Amino acid sequence: MATSLNPTYFIFLSAALFAIGVYGVIAKKNIIAVLVSIEMMLAAVNINLVAFNKFFTPEAFIGQIFAIFVVTVAAVEIGLGLALAIALVRKRGTTNLDDFDWLKW
Amino acid sequence: MHIDYSLLSTEIALAILGLIVFTLGLTLPSRSTNRGLGAFAIFGLLIVLGITVSFWGTQAELLAGMYLIDNFSVFFKILALVAAILIVFGTMSYANNNLSRQLEYYSTIIFATLGMIIMISAGDFITLYIGLELMTVSFIILVAFRKTDGHSLEAGIKYLILAGVSSAVLLYGLSLIYGATGTVYILELAELVTAGTISPLLVFGLVLLVAGFGFKISAAPFHMWAPDVYEGAPTPITAYLAVGSKAASFAILVRVFVGGLAGMQEQWATLLAVLAAISILLGNLVAIPQTNIKRMLAYSSIAQAGYIMVGLLTASPEGIKGVMFYAFIYLFATIGAFVVVCAVYEKTKSDEIASYAGLSQRSPLAAAVMLISLLSMAGIPPLAGFVGKFYLFTTITDNFMWLVYIGLIMSMVSVYYYLRVALVMYRDEPTDPTPIKMGAAVNVTLIIAMVATLVLGIYPTPLSELSNIAAQSFFTW
Amino acid sequence: MINWLGVLIFLLSGAAFGVIGIGISYLIQPRTKNRYKLEVYESGIPVKASAWVRFRNQYFTYALIFVIFDVEILYLYPWAVSFVELGLSGLIKMFIFIFILVLGLWYAWKEGAFEWR
Repeated sequence: MATSLNPTYFIFLSAALFAIGVYGVIAKKNIIAVLVSIEMMLAAVNINLVAFNKFFTPEAFIGQIFAIFVVTVAAVEIGLGLALAIALVRKRGTTNLDDFDWLKW
Repeated sequence: MHIDYSLLSTEIALAILGLIVFTLGLTLPSRSTNRGLGAFAIFGLLIVLGITVSFWGTQAELLAGMYLIDNFSVFFKILALVAAILIVFGTMSYANNNLSRQLEYYSTIIFATLGMIIMISAGDFITLYIGLELMTVSFIILVAFRKTDGHSLEAGIKYLILAGVSSAVLLYGLSLIYGATGTVYILELAELVTAGTISPLLVFGLVLLVAGFGFKISAAPFHMWAPDVYEGAPTPITAYLAVGSKAASFAILVRVFVGGLAGMQEQWATLLAVLAAISILLGNLVAIPQTNIKRMLAYSSIAQAGYIMVGLLTASPEGIKGVMFYAFIYLFATIGAFVVVCAVYEKTKSDEIASYAGLSQRSPLAAAVMLISLLSMAGIPPLAGFVGKFYLFTTITDNFMWLVYIGLIMSMVSVYYYLRVALVMYRDEPTDPTPIKMGAAVNVTLIIAMVATLVLGIYPTPLSELSNIAAQSFFTW
Repeated sequence: MINWLGVLIFLLSGAAFGVIGIGISYLIQPRTKNRYKLEVYESGIPVKASAWVRFRNQYFTYALIFVIFDVEILYLYPWAVSFVELGLSGLIKMFIFIFILVLGLWYAWKEGAFEWR
């Protein structure tokens, strides 16, 4: 297939997405926003995995299988995060991470 | 494709045990009749331990290298199971009195153990990731277990976020290594990665891998979750987090770095040496001003992670042997200390070091076990910790002499804060002189931990030989 | 660079599709102004209150359970595609998989996650 697409583009795309995710985790104050940022980091990983699978090992589907597992675990993590957020809202009435200072950081 | 399921019998048995405990808990009529679940879980775990021991000496791979069974993995599996059994056994009364939901508690502990065991045996990145996440997710649930207690919830949220970020970083590293080499199998990786084939992508992946694993073993500067989570989590979970999660993470760290990326030893050895040095320095120094015993033990465990990391630096059988030996000794010392913390908490409802005043009069056994465990962690000669540190640090005297000095000096510093607890226990007068009554299970666990720490210190040869055999098997792939 | 021309044309025609559609309707639409025009549902049911209300926690519990069970499709789909090759052993493994999920469903049921309180 004659395209001028090469893995570099995907590496840059995923690196950018990953960096945005890292920034979100550090800068955001709301649990939900932080969870979304973590999802972005995992999405960056998936882009990498699927792209590398396509370019380097097109006959084996290792990367795509890996991506499926990553998606699943990401869903589990989000489910758990939301459950904890609900419990926290019930208990403390806030989802702002700055309010969680009972334990020292 | 034919799969030899008998090689997986440990994992299958453990999964079935977890599901049975879960189903039993659901079918038993009321929460109060669930008390027997703990005993059932211990019984099941003992059977699984027996199955695992019978695998000693087996060397096999499953699914073209996705799953590796050798003495190295069997050693760490035994370690994880022993830790689970001792902790569940020693803290059963704590769990009965403080944690209302037995079904979720015991089944989640079993699933966390299953995650560790899968991770320990993992032969490729996918299995590694699944095991790691099964363990982490179970631990998040367990850390936030007392959901009516704000501290526990807050610790759970912090653990969730930092564990999520660390696994994302780890995964990104894994994906880059996959991109650079085209394989996810650790054994294949070892053949592909040689000194001549190192690309920038690979090095970048390696750095992210170090950061990701650094979180899991709570090595500084990736340690910031540990004190908060250790303090906020229910104490049995803190103990299991400190022992099981750390040991399993070290097992996979050895597997990936020494087993898979040995060709890049030059690159990662320096990196890990620096991490080890920071962990030892920071862990020991910050532990000094702590007033909460769980926080103090958390910082001490950061320092211990630094000591264990020393064994990886040379990528030699001697170093791996040191890692395994130290991990096993650390297990008994930590469980001894945390079971005492549990027992004292039940009586005083406090984790402050000040509430340990006069413990030697209130419960001589608890005080003695606490003292021996802490001294073993500090590495005082007749105890097991000394032998472990000796094995670890002798491997690096050629290349990393500066790290040996840091380790020695900081071990001496650590004696200070460990002995401070001893002083409070033995010198101070108790505010409430009533003796602390501990159940038979707690006493038995404490005695096992104490005897193991003493005996392995005086006569380390059998365990040393076992870990030597296990380390050899690691290098015969 | 010739390969990228297709992408450019695709992007431009995609944008044009939206712009032209909105533009034409803006040009030819009849304009009347009265207060019924400003209602949320024009000629529909009257609006009672603001849409920015707090939802009950119960909604989120449902959402959580949905998310968790939704993901199983990810594994069912590849299995369904290669159903014939995998044969009976694949079917048995899938039943084990579903069985474990059903245990989770049973738990959610017993915890009262499906009761509207």
